[in-house]
Amino acid sequence: MNALIKLELARALRNRKFLFFSVIYPSIIFLLVASQGGTGETVDNSGLSVAAYVMVSMASFGALTAVLMGNSERIAKERESGWVRQLRLTTLPGRGYVLAKTASAAVVSLPSIVVVFLIAASVKHVRLDAWQWLALTGAIWAGSLVFAALGVAIGYLASGDAVRPITMITYFGLSILGGLWWPSSSFPTWLQDIAKWLPTHAYAALGRAIEQSQAPKAQDIAILVVFFALFVGGAAWLYRKDTLKA
Amino acid sequence: MVVGFDQVSKTYGNVRAVDGLSLRLHPGETVALLGPNGAGKSTTLDLLLGLKQADAGTVSVFGLNPREAIVAGRVGAMLQSGGLMDEVTVRELVKLACDLHPKPYKVTDVLARAGISQIADRKVNKLSGGQSQRVRFALATAGDSDLIVLDEPTTGMDVSARQAFWATMREQADQGRTVLFATHYLEEADAIADRVLVLHRGRLLADGTAAEIKAKAGARRISFDLEGEIDEAPLRALPFLTAVDVSGQTIRIQSSDADATVHALYGLGVYPRNLEVAGLGLEQAFVAITEAEEAKEAPQS
Repeated sequence: MNALIKLELARALRNRKFLFFSVIYPSIIFLLVASQGGTGETVDNSGLSVAAYVMVSMASFGALTAVLMGNSERIAKERESGWVRQLRLTTLPGRGYVLAKTASAAVVSLPSIVVVFLIAASVKHVRLDAWQWLALTGAIWAGSLVFAALGVAIGYLASGDAVRPITMITYFGLSILGGLWWPSSSFPTWLQDIAKWLPTHAYAALGRAIEQSQAPKAQDIAILVVFFALFVGGAAWLYRKDTLKA
Repeated sequence: MVVGFDQVSKTYGNVRAVDGLSLRLHPGETVALLGPNGAGKSTTLDLLLGLKQADAGTVSVFGLNPREAIVAGRVGAMLQSGGLMDEVTVRELVKLACDLHPKPYKVTDVLARAGISQIADRKVNKLSGGQSQRVRFALATAGDSDLIVLDEPTTGMDVSARQAFWATMREQADQGRTVLFATHYLEEADAIADRVLVLHRGRLLADGTAAEIKAKAGARRISFDLEGEIDEAPLRALPFLTAVDVSGQTIRIQSSDADATVHALYGLGVYPRNLEVAGLGLEQAFVAITEAEEAKEAPQS
């Protein structure tokens, strides 16, 4: 399986468009948004500077881009082309294909997190303790698995022309409503009530808790765990259905 | 025994794609699975490779179930609609196939044998149809498998590419491997296979050497008109007939030896008009064989 992971990774790193959107693009938005806040300003009683707040949003957004966009469209395309069938004629175990896709997406998502951090620290002077940087990286990286599973599920659910719109709607919907682009506290109350149940919202809240040196809220962890179980279960069910059909 | 099908059936909705199929392949054979489109060839190969599960009956490959045989590295296969991973080079893809095989060959050897060394650094998605087929062939022969399965391998190849391909294939067979390929070209089966299985509507119609099948499928259609009262009995007694159809003044017959049949026809003292003798296409030949089979079965049931 390592052979497939290596090849998937080589292919992902060769794809400039994909790298731009998952690694460079979140950092650019970070710079644009963080520059709007004054230095002393904090975001909605969190005690966090605009730069620190947006840094977590954009690192989460970058990881989300890398794992969601990387998986869904490719899986749908390769299912249709018959590559998935061809792989079933090798010694690769059944789940190997999905695991290789997820592993290579995870490797790309790590730089998309780290680059935002580096730019935040060097350009916007965000200062955190060493343990906080490490915990942030670990939490955002691990949390991205939730969305990797979602990407796999979409890849097995949709086919042909439907994959891209479904991925895009899910991607922008989760990013915007989850408060990755603007703080969800700027939403009307009814929308805030919806937003706080979204996995992206819990995902960013996890990172902010670490920045505030607080324990993450149990509700956020529970939301992430439930969505992870939901997405993995859905992906597994769709995968089995597809295998029987093929 | 390399492959054993025992009373295998597979149904899609109302269509019986494979209908009580039993067959055995023996080591070292080169076997053609011949049949018109929709005969059940692809489904048979999918069942053999474990891509589909039989509704009834058992499929065994080297005494194992299909998936176990693949994991043991005993089967290399090339699918008709086998997509390829794009945006990687031919060499990278072949290397992947070698890495995944329990008994791999060297990448350079696999490339050379499939005749794709010159295009090894090209991206997979920039290949012509024939080149893609060769890459698929390379994936199927990346390791020392005992059985090679090919589903319509020469689709999309021109005549010279086809010849080169079969030369490569023959090398595989000469090394003692069992080769099973599906085709709807009678000529391919004739030139390559030592055994031909004819499949029609999911059932095995004929199993024999290429020459035997060709004699069966090589039937010709003879048609002519007769004037006046037609006495059918002597017509039905003509030699080498496989089918007779009299409608009005027109008689259509099928014969496995048209020359002898026509000669005998004149011997009856009749004057056939508008005489036509035409070869049957493969599709029609299958219908002829099927009708003969069904006629044989009818008295028993």
